[in-house]
Amino acid sequence: MRFALRFTRSGPGLIGAVILALLALAALAAPLLFPGDPLKIAGPALTAPFTDPAFPFGTDRLGRDVLAGVFHGARASLAVGLAAAFAALAIGLVVGTLAGFAGGFIDEALMRVADAFQIVPGFLLALAFVSTLGASMPTVILAIALSAWAEPARLARAEVLSIRERDYVAAARIIGMHPLEIAFREILPNALPPVLAFAAITVAGAILTEAALSFLGLGDPNVVTWGAMIAEGRNVLRAAPFLSIIPGLALVSAVLGVYLVSEGVSDALRPREGRAA
Amino acid sequence: MKRIAALLRRRAITAVPVLLIVIAATFLLLEHAPGDAVDSYLVSLGGGDAKLAAELRAQYGLDQSGFARFRLYLSALARFDLGWSVAFDRPVIDLVRERLPNTLLLMASATALSFGLGSLLGIAAGARPGSLRDRALSIGALALYAVPGFWLGLVLVLFFSVQLRWLPLAGMETIASGKQGLERALDIARHLVLPVTALGFIYLALFLRVMRSGMAEVWPLDFVLFARSKGLSRTRIVWRHVARNALLPLVTVLGLQAAAMLGGSVVIESVFAIPGFGRLAQEAVSDRDAPLLVGVILTSAVLVILVNLTVDIVYALLDPRIGSGEEGA
Amino acid sequence: MTVLTLSRRGLLKGAALGLLASTAPIAVMAAAAKGGRLVVAADSEPKNLNPAIVASNGVFYIASKVIEPLAEASYDGKDGLEPRLAVSWEGAQDGRSVTFKLREGVTWHDGKPFTSADVAFSALEVWKKLQNIGRSVFANLETVETPDAATAIFRFSKPTPFQLIRNALPVATSVIPRHLYEGTDIATNPANTRLVGTGPFKFTEYKPGEYYRLTRNEAYWNKQAPLLDEIVYRVLPDRAGAGAALEAEEIQLAAFSAVPLADLARISKVAGIKVISRGYEALTYQLIVEINHRRKELADLKVRQAIAHAIDRKFVVDTIFLGYAAASTGPVPRNAPEFYTADVPTYDFDVAKANALLDEAGYKAGADGKRFSLKLLPAPYFNETRQFGAYLRQALAAIGIDAELVNNDSAAHQKAVYTDHAFDLAVAPPVFRGDPAISTTILVQSGLPAGVGFSNQGGYVSSTLDSIIAKAAETIDTDARTALYKDFQKQVVADLPLINVAEWGFITVARDTVENVPSNPRWAVSNWADTALKG
Repeated sequence: MRFALRFTRSGPGLIGAVILALLALAALAAPLLFPGDPLKIAGPALTAPFTDPAFPFGTDRLGRDVLAGVFHGARASLAVGLAAAFAALAIGLVVGTLAGFAGGFIDEALMRVADAFQIVPGFLLALAFVSTLGASMPTVILAIALSAWAEPARLARAEVLSIRERDYVAAARIIGMHPLEIAFREILPNALPPVLAFAAITVAGAILTEAALSFLGLGDPNVVTWGAMIAEGRNVLRAAPFLSIIPGLALVSAVLGVYLVSEGVSDALRPREGRAA
Repeated sequence: MKRIAALLRRRAITAVPVLLIVIAATFLLLEHAPGDAVDSYLVSLGGGDAKLAAELRAQYGLDQSGFARFRLYLSALARFDLGWSVAFDRPVIDLVRERLPNTLLLMASATALSFGLGSLLGIAAGARPGSLRDRALSIGALALYAVPGFWLGLVLVLFFSVQLRWLPLAGMETIASGKQGLERALDIARHLVLPVTALGFIYLALFLRVMRSGMAEVWPLDFVLFARSKGLSRTRIVWRHVARNALLPLVTVLGLQAAAMLGGSVVIESVFAIPGFGRLAQEAVSDRDAPLLVGVILTSAVLVILVNLTVDIVYALLDPRIGSGEEGA
Repeated sequence: MTVLTLSRRGLLKGAALGLLASTAPIAVMAAAAKGGRLVVAADSEPKNLNPAIVASNGVFYIASKVIEPLAEASYDGKDGLEPRLAVSWEGAQDGRSVTFKLREGVTWHDGKPFTSADVAFSALEVWKKLQNIGRSVFANLETVETPDAATAIFRFSKPTPFQLIRNALPVATSVIPRHLYEGTDIATNPANTRLVGTGPFKFTEYKPGEYYRLTRNEAYWNKQAPLLDEIVYRVLPDRAGAGAALEAEEIQLAAFSAVPLADLARISKVAGIKVISRGYEALTYQLIVEINHRRKELADLKVRQAIAHAIDRKFVVDTIFLGYAAASTGPVPRNAPEFYTADVPTYDFDVAKANALLDEAGYKAGADGKRFSLKLLPAPYFNETRQFGAYLRQALAAIGIDAELVNNDSAAHQKAVYTDHAFDLAVAPPVFRGDPAISTTILVQSGLPAGVGFSNQGGYVSSTLDSIIAKAAETIDTDARTALYKDFQKQVVADLPLINVAEWGFITVARDTVENVPSNPRWAVSNWADTALKG
C-alpha cells in the first residue's frame, strides 16, 4: 500500500479526496434528505435564496427546490462522470490491450479506428450522437465515452508493448496460458495505473460535456443534473443569477475535486510513471 | 529532412483509412437518426401534406437507399466534390469555405491566448514548485477549466458588453459597416476579444499544468543543479534552463487540443453568434443534412491531422533525438 | 402616440390577450420622422425565403417587407382586413368565384409593372401547387381569369367558402413576379433567396449566419412610405442574446419573444426599453396536449377528462407564461371572435375529481401509487412547450400517471409523433391562422396519412366531428359555416381528441425610439411600412 501512503502525503490529493467524499455523501443522502422527485414543483417560482427557510437556496422558474436539485444533481452528475469515464476506460483498455498484444493487422485496424475517434472533435461527436439517438442518460453517457476512449486505448497499448516482453509474461507463455488469458490476467492489470491517472480528466470532462449538451437542449429531462440547472438558469441570468451560480459552484467543486485527486494520483505514481498527466 | 519526408509519407498513408472510417461512421449515424432532412424542413414550414413530403424526398434523393447515397457520395468525393447541402441548397464546399476562416481565426487566437498565457503562468507557478503562488495559480486555472464555456461567455458579455459597453456583444464584425482594410481588421479584432477569451481561458489550465509539471521535472536534473552551483541568478535559471526545456511537451498538447477546441467552439459560436464551423455542424445535425455534416466533420478531421502533423514536424526539428514521432506500430 | 406599452402590472390586470383587436386604435403615422436603420433580432435563417411557397411566420418575419399579400390583417378594417395588392374582393353567391380588383401603378423592385397576370401565375402555379397552406385553401381553384391588368377572377371547380378565402388572404396570397418564375423550376428558383417583390423594402443583402439587409423601395406605391431607410435582421441564435443586445443598444427591436419571458419584468424597468404585448392577435399560438388514442387507457374518455382536470391552467398562465397568455376554453382561441364560443364544457383544476375519474375508469393505483406509465413528448420549438412538458409530468404524477419525458430535436420529434406515432402524449404549439379550416380542423379530422406534420396522428376517429368538418368545408353561407364551427368547438371539448391548455401571443421588446409598433394584429409579419425611428 505504498501508493495509498504516497497519495495521502500529497496535499492536493487529500483535499480533492475530501471534496469528493463530501459530494458523494451528498449524492447518497439526497433521497433521504429530499425524498421524492427533485423536479417536483414545490413552491412559488423564482423564490430568492436565503429568504424562505423552506427553500434555503430558493426555487427555479417553475418553483422547483434548488437545494434538492443540487443534492440530487450530485447523484446524476457524478453518475454521468463516473459511468462515462468507466465506459471510456473499459473500451480503451480492452481495445488497447488487444491491439498491443495481437499486433499486426488487428493492431493496425484497431489503432486506425482509434485515430478516427480521436481526430473528430469529441463534442461534435457527442452532439451528433445524442441528437440522432435521443437525449437520455444512457445515450449521453455512451456519447461521452465514445468521444473519450481513444486516448486510454493508446496509453494501454503503449504500456502493453513495453511490458509484453518482460519476464513474467514470458513465464506465463511458457506454462501454456492462452494468449488472451495472458493479455487480460497478466498484462492488463499492469497497464492500469497510468490509464487511471487519465480517468480523472475524463470524469471532469464528462460532467462538463453533459452541461454543454444540456445548454444545447440535449439533456435528459427526467433527471436533474447540475449542467441542466445551469443551462436553464442562463435564461434568467440577470433576474435570478443564483439559479446558475449555485449549481455552477457545485460543478466547479466536483471538477476541482476530481482534478486534485488526479494530481494526488500522479504525485504518488510519479517515480514510476516518469511524467505527470 | 529525410526523417520528415518519411513522416509525411507515413501520415498520408494512414490518413486515408482513418478518414474513410470517419465518413462511414458519420453516414451510418445520420442513417439511424430518427427523422430526415424533409422532416426537419416540414417543421420550418409548419406542416405540409404527405404528397409534399414525398415530392421533397424525391427531390433530395432521400427516396434512395442509404447505401446507394453513400456510394454516390464516395464517388463524388473521389473527384474532390463535397456534395450538395440539402438544407442550405448550396454546394457544401461553398459553406465550408465561408465558415472555416471564422472558426480558424477564433481557434488560432484562442490557442495563442491559452498557450501564451498558460505557459507564462505555468512558468510563474513552476518557478517555485509547491509555493503558495504555485498552488493558487494551479487551483485558479482548474476552477476556470471547470466553468462551462457557455456560462463564462454569457457572464463576459453581461459585464463587458452590457454593463461597461466596452466591447461588442456578438458577431464577427460590425454588420453592414462597409469598413475596409485595417479598419475592418481592427473591428474584427474587437469582436473577437470576448469569444477568444471565453474559449482560450478554458484551455489555459491545461497548458499551465503541463508547463508547471514539466518544470518540476527539470529542476532536479543535473544541468540545472550545475547552473545553480555556478551561482546563476534564479530568474536566469528559470528562463534559460528550466522553462526552455519544459516547453517541448507543451507543443504536443497543442496538437491534442486542436480537436477539443474545435468541439468547444460549437458552444462559443452559438453564444457569440459567430457564423463558424461549430454552428454549421450543429445546424447540419439538426437539419439531418448528411452531406453537410460529413463535409464539416471531414474538413475538421483533415484540419486536426494537419495540425498534428505540423506539431510533429516542429517537434522533430526541435528535438533531434526523437524519431519520426510514430507510435512504433 | 398610441403605441400601447404595457407594464407587467398593467398586463396582469388587463389579462393580456383579452384586450382585443376591435377596441384598439390604429397607430398614427403622421408625426414620425423619416429615415434611419432599424436593427432587429432574428433567431433563425429560413433556407427558402419565398412566402408564396413557405407560408410560415419565420419566413414572413423577413419576407413580408419585400413581398406583399393581396390583403393584410387589420385592427379596424372590414372583416379584419386592409387592402394591400388588392383594393377590393368580392365572392359570388354560389361560392364558385371570387373577384379581386388590384392596385394600379404598382411596380416590381426590378421596375417591371405588377399586373393581374402575376396574381394568376402565383395562385395557380405556386399557392395551389406548392404552398403548405394554399394546397388546401386553393385545392379547387380551376382558373384565374384576367379580363384586364387590374382584375383577377378566381374560379373554383367546387363551391369554396368566401369566408375561408378572405381569412386566408394575409397568410396564403403573397404575390411573386411571374416574369422571374415562369418557365423555371419554381421550387429552386434563385429568386427564392434573393426576393423580388412590390413591398416597401427591397431585399439587398444576405450574409449567412450574420444578417439580412433590406433597403427602402423609393418607388413604393404608397408615396408616404416606408419611413425607414433600412431594416437589418441580425442573426442571434442564442435566445439569451437578444435581451443583452437590446440593452447594449446593438439592436432596437426583438420580436417573437426573443427576450425570454422570465426576463421581461426586469428589462421593462431598464430605461429606454419598452415591452409590447400587442401585435400578435392574428398569430395566436395554442398550447395543446396531443393524445395517442391507440393507447387503450387514453382511448377512454374518462382518462382524458381526468388529465384535463389534472392541469392547472392558472399555473400554466401565471408561472410558465408569466401572465403573457390566457387559459384556453377550446380549439378556437378568443382572438378569433368571428368563430369563438365560450359555450363549451369546462374542466376545472380538480385533482380529487381526476383521481375519481381514473378509479371509475378502472385504473386503480398500485402499491407504489402509480396507475400506469406513458411517454410524454414535448415539442422542442419553444422554452414554454418544454417547460409545460416538465409541468405536465408533475401534474400527471399527482394523479398517479407516471410520465416519462422524451426530449427530441425538431426532426426527431416530427418523425416520432407525426410519422411513427411513437408517443402517448405530446405537447404541441399549433398556430391559429385566422380560420379553423386552415389550422385547427386538421388536428381532429381522421383519415390523414402518416407523415402529415401538425395534424391528427393520434388515431382519433369521430364520425360526428368528421362530418361537421366536411360540411363546413363546403358551406358557402358565412353564418351557417360559423355555426358549424361553434358546434365543432363544443364537440371537441366534450370528446377531448386533444386538450387545449392555453393560448398566447408573442412579446416584442423594443427601444423607445422605435415608433408605430404595433399597427396591425399580424404586426411582426406585416410590411412595417409605417414603422419609424425617432430622432
